[in-house]
Amino acid sequence: MRRLLLALMLLGLATPAGAEKLASTVSSSTVQITSSFDGAVLSLFGTIDSNTPGLAPTGPYNVIVVITGPLQDRVARLKTNNWGIWTNTDQVTFKQFPSFYDVLASGKLDNIATPDVLEAQNVLPIQQATSTATLGEGSTKAAEFGTELVRLMTQEGHFAVREDAIRFLSNTAYVAQVTLPSDVANGPFIAHTYLLKDKQLVADRSEGFTVRKTGFENFVFVASKQQPLLYGLVCVALALGTGWLAGVAFRR
Amino acid sequence: MNLFFLIGIGGAVGFLSGLFGVGGGFLLTPLLIFAGVPSPVAIASVTGQVAASSTSGALSYYRRNAIDLHLALYLILASTIGSMIGVTIFSVLRAAGQLDLFIAVAYLLLLGFLGTLMMTEAVRSIMRRRSGVVMRDKLPSQHSWMHGLPMRIRFKKSKLYISVLPVLAIGLFIGIVGALLGIGGGFILVPALVYLLRVPANVVVGTSLLQVVAMMCVTTILQALTSQSVDILLAFCLMVGGTVGAQFGASAGKYLRGDQLRALLALLILGVAIRFGLTLVLKPSDVFSMAILTAGGLG
Repeated sequence: MRRLLLALMLLGLATPAGAEKLASTVSSSTVQITSSFDGAVLSLFGTIDSNTPGLAPTGPYNVIVVITGPLQDRVARLKTNNWGIWTNTDQVTFKQFPSFYDVLASGKLDNIATPDVLEAQNVLPIQQATSTATLGEGSTKAAEFGTELVRLMTQEGHFAVREDAIRFLSNTAYVAQVTLPSDVANGPFIAHTYLLKDKQLVADRSEGFTVRKTGFENFVFVASKQQPLLYGLVCVALALGTGWLAGVAFRR
Repeated sequence: MNLFFLIGIGGAVGFLSGLFGVGGGFLLTPLLIFAGVPSPVAIASVTGQVAASSTSGALSYYRRNAIDLHLALYLILASTIGSMIGVTIFSVLRAAGQLDLFIAVAYLLLLGFLGTLMMTEAVRSIMRRRSGVVMRDKLPSQHSWMHGLPMRIRFKKSKLYISVLPVLAIGLFIGIVGALLGIGGGFILVPALVYLLRVPANVVVGTSLLQVVAMMCVTTILQALTSQSVDILLAFCLMVGGTVGAQFGASAGKYLRGDQLRALLALLILGVAIRFGLTLVLKPSDVFSMAILTAGGLG
């Protein structure tokens, strides 16, 4: 009896809500981006299967994919005018805030998922801000600065909500494309896929992939972070060498 | 940022520095900031460029035996400590989000003062020349209160027997200001050496250049270690442009009169000061800004 209960519980954990099974993949597990180029395009594929053999999955289904980049501590600052001078007077820190956040969907978010589902899964960009703000979640200031931070990140092309980015090839197969700009952070990315039916979550899955930037500029950037002393010494040697060379070349 | 733009801006400022005989850091750093380079990166990278542009000068003065090494050593020691203090203040201001404000105010005051001073001096000199009156500049008097301080040391080459305290104080001040603003500070150091310490004219420029090279090298390494905002590619473009541009500037300078040159430079300096003033009082296009506190996600 106890063993049966345990088995049922495990089954329950494996398939949270429904009878659907999601299989998905990304086109490459390591994305190489040359720092001076346009970026890289990554494709995501997935199929929907039934958990019960012999029973075809019945749609219609919708899919949301959330792509999250490496986390960084970020600060949003507000300038105000004091005695005629514009200065930063207020700031909110966001701990472990994603450096990249792309929400891809197969339709208007409001049409394919209930607000409760979006809320519970932290799908919307603004929720990333409010849940990481050091002020606590309820704060109106955190919400205000969070909205502005999301706006700034969107302007930089690192945050986006694209509600037409996922295309269904058949009733049970979809494909999506995401463009990673060349200035995204190096490191681990996560693609979290949510399968929805009748606006409710029926299955979800996540895949990881790594972004590795290549090229000379990135080599220099990594060196400045990992070997700062050597980096500084090389810069000084370069300065003295250039100065010396100029002195010799233009000696009058 | 475009490679040719950077070599170009380095070359243009190098031309000016050769033309006017100044280091160029106090023009190059503002220009880069105005061009959209983040101010920490501009300051830290120009530091490397100033080291390069001062090296050839320092070497040629060294060959002519026109450097007081003893005096330079004391200045370098003090400015190294000053540079450490400066880089620390730099980090604190940056973390507090007040670095841009500090830089704008500091440059506004520094360049405003310097530009006004140079402008009045140049205008007076031009008027004097027009009216045909020949006047000799007053020579600095032989003694000042500086010479009454304790811990006196003999600097043979400069023929000075003075207290070490003002020497160290000058070095410390230059170190702090240089690290904070990304300037060599030759335009502060040379007058300070001449008017406060009475260092003779034949060694003052060489000594000042050697001190600038050493201080800028130390600051570059400190910036690379603490703020990690030295952009070696940016710095190298500026170095190449700057050193080449300086040679052409120096040749062009022979065809212009000194007081006219100084008036032109004063105009330029005042222009940069006014531009900094405007950034303080004009409403920014976006009152919100963001910054990364920890650089995460390294491969």
